[in-house]
Amino acid sequence: MRDVAIVSFAQAPLEQAPGQTETLMLLPTITEALANVGMTRRDVEFTCSGSADYLTGGTFTFVQMLEAAGAWPPISESHVEMDGAWALYEAWVRLQHGDVDVALVFASGRASLGASLRETLTFQLDPYYLAPIGADYVSLAALQAQAVLERTGKTENDLAQIVAERRRDASGSPNSAVPGDASADDLLKNDYVVAPLRTHDIGPPVDGAAAIVLVAGDRAREVCAQPAWIAGIDHRADPHYPGVRDLTVSRSTKQAGEKAGVGKGGVEVAELSAVCTPEELVLAEALGLGDDVAINPSGGALVANPVMVTGLVRIGEAAKHVFGGGSRALGHASSGPCLQQNLVCVVEGRS
Amino acid sequence: MSNDNVQFMSHHTKVEYKIPEPSLLSLHFGDELAKARIIGHRCPQCSKVYMPPRGYCPLCVVETTEADEVEVSTNGTVTTFSIITPLQYPGQEETEDYVQGTILLDGADTTIMVMQMDGIPIADMRMGMRVRAVWPPEAKRTDSVTASVNRGMGLGDAVERWEPTGEPDLTREQIAEHVL
Repeated sequence: MRDVAIVSFAQAPLEQAPGQTETLMLLPTITEALANVGMTRRDVEFTCSGSADYLTGGTFTFVQMLEAAGAWPPISESHVEMDGAWALYEAWVRLQHGDVDVALVFASGRASLGASLRETLTFQLDPYYLAPIGADYVSLAALQAQAVLERTGKTENDLAQIVAERRRDASGSPNSAVPGDASADDLLKNDYVVAPLRTHDIGPPVDGAAAIVLVAGDRAREVCAQPAWIAGIDHRADPHYPGVRDLTVSRSTKQAGEKAGVGKGGVEVAELSAVCTPEELVLAEALGLGDDVAINPSGGALVANPVMVTGLVRIGEAAKHVFGGGSRALGHASSGPCLQQNLVCVVEGRS
Repeated sequence: MSNDNVQFMSHHTKVEYKIPEPSLLSLHFGDELAKARIIGHRCPQCSKVYMPPRGYCPLCVVETTEADEVEVSTNGTVTTFSIITPLQYPGQEETEDYVQGTILLDGADTTIMVMQMDGIPIADMRMGMRVRAVWPPEAKRTDSVTASVNRGMGLGDAVERWEPTGEPDLTREQIAEHVL
């Protein structure tokens, strides 16, 4: 395998000018990611993006986003109708070919424009049994939550403790959509959305954009003092139907984690795409994360869920840990109902 | 297996979006249309004028701002057009052949598409023909502006119709870059 490193990560601030277009959320973000490592759009040899038309109800909206990357003269690019983490996976595969060294990955989403994410995400379900009954992602997550609480003996108070901690960690962050000062007791006064999930248990869907620069081989060290080398990356899928799975475990996450080498040397930080609190418990167990691992020090998806960007941000946050001198971290992304599909990316610093 | 064994089920779905949500720039563009003014943004690097303004130049990939605003002419050139023969289906209001044209306004580098060319007989339509915008009376403009802004592109139906200026046509070479 060819060594590939994340050398830069940039995220658009949560607070956007009113009436901002998605392209204009991305343009300065991509410029920043490249400028951080002394690059311009001319240095990029492959571009891959992640977004979903269903969020804004547009068609081929990724074509407009591409203008933020600069597509003239013509560039080599690809797009996934998924979270940007999968775009990063494709870019990593592309760099394995060996003929190009620099890839740009970006993702964007405007979850605020749909009627509600609960309605919109219903369309990701099979059209025969699940979509017609309007099985929205929060209701499905609540079924999972109930199963997790029953099996683990955890309580709603335990969930509230997790949320309070994530919010505290993210307090003052420009990427948090929630206040940081609520205690677990305060949070337990919140209403149920779908029992046992209360409002604080669901990461608030927000608009977002992020960009990552990947560089292969020695060139990564030339542009970045402490590149976050991709030690392993893998993605796996469980069956689509929640009804045929044990929702209290995530076999696909476990498998992806093993293939990505999470157990080989452990990690200091794990950034998990848990958009509902109990998902964090399921993921931490699947990845074998002990008490010594800092889970979602950024606050994770429980403080803001920029849909289609959330997973890429988790990988970016893991890379930031290495940029800052950390030795190993993982970023996780998820897609589909009840953590159906999962991607794990392990990054590490090397001397 | 016979068809008798197949059961059909109706499943109607609906999602309501808050868009088209006009950007601030689109709203400003619409306000100017209400004054019968068409504005664009001139890229500070390559000098191309984008109309409607997008807030950036996709070729140079730089942002453009109010400082780059320019007014373009309401006169222009038909760079290409289509004659459309309507097939009758429920909701189809057109019954006769009609023309939609693409127009390059003087002072702009981008064209406006899907312009209704009702004011010009089909037999007279030519690539390169010089035309001018005829605006609706001021009192009627607000509605058409809203419509155009919500389209997010071009002028929508802000202009009442286009009429020939009578100037000599531009040559094919002069409009070759703007046919699409």
